[in-house]
Amino acid sequence: MSTAMNFGTKSFQPRPPEKGSFPLDHLGECKSFKDKFMKCLYDNHFENALCRNESKEYLECRMERKLMLQEPLEKLGFGDLIGGKSEAKK
Amino acid sequence: YRLYCQTTGLGGSAVAGHASDQIENMVPVKDRILKISFNADVHASLQWNFRPQQTEIYVVPGETALAFYRAKNPTDKPIIGISTYNVVPFEAGQYFNKIQCFCFEEQRLNPQEEVDMPVFFYIDPEFAEDPRMINVDLITLSYTFFEAKEGHTLPVPGYN
Repeated sequence: MSTAMNFGTKSFQPRPPEKGSFPLDHLGECKSFKDKFMKCLYDNHFENALCRNESKEYLECRMERKLMLQEPLEKLGFGDLIGGKSEAKK
Repeated sequence: YRLYCQTTGLGGSAVAGHASDQIENMVPVKDRILKISFNADVHASLQWNFRPQQTEIYVVPGETALAFYRAKNPTDKPIIGISTYNVVPFEAGQYFNKIQCFCFEEQRLNPQEEVDMPVFFYIDPEFAEDPRMINVDLITLSYTFFEAKEGHTLPVPGYN
């Protein structure tokens, strides 16, 4: 598949990720969490909203193993999963 | 365009500095379901197998989402790759925010090594306010890996 080539005046400007690059999980330390997340997606017609616990757990695994900088879960968009947020946020 | 090699994600991004606040406070637009589809490419000189682990995921603006690619080096030599990405439709690209991913930084795979490559992202809730986006229900994210050789300049995709 060829990448989109815009010959007009507009062209896509890739931006670096906000928090930088994930180190590679060379040892597969968080593979089981990834597998759990992928299974959730497959079981739920790839609906992200139904697999947010699994994605949170994967990122928590990375943070625990220093494969990701520690970050409060609210700043990763998981505030509603950890309690303490009002219903008005939903 | 310039490829940034970033471990901090700083430098040039319009949302740097207050992105975390935005994420913490954003409200998902639950009635605006978007399909994100995933493509993977490698430049001809890169001998990696690289593919998405899901063909699509359904998200809503304002909700953080995780997706995975997988890369394998099937050769008997270590290979270093570096990737960039593209988003179509073009106008939706400004709303596609990568919190963290594997792009723009050299990634080394040893012989026969296979790794999961996550992308953690969200669609800006303002997407739902943009009248130009009213008919956009599909956003396609494409990553392309190139080989990074020591002492050589990185190949630049021919967008310009």
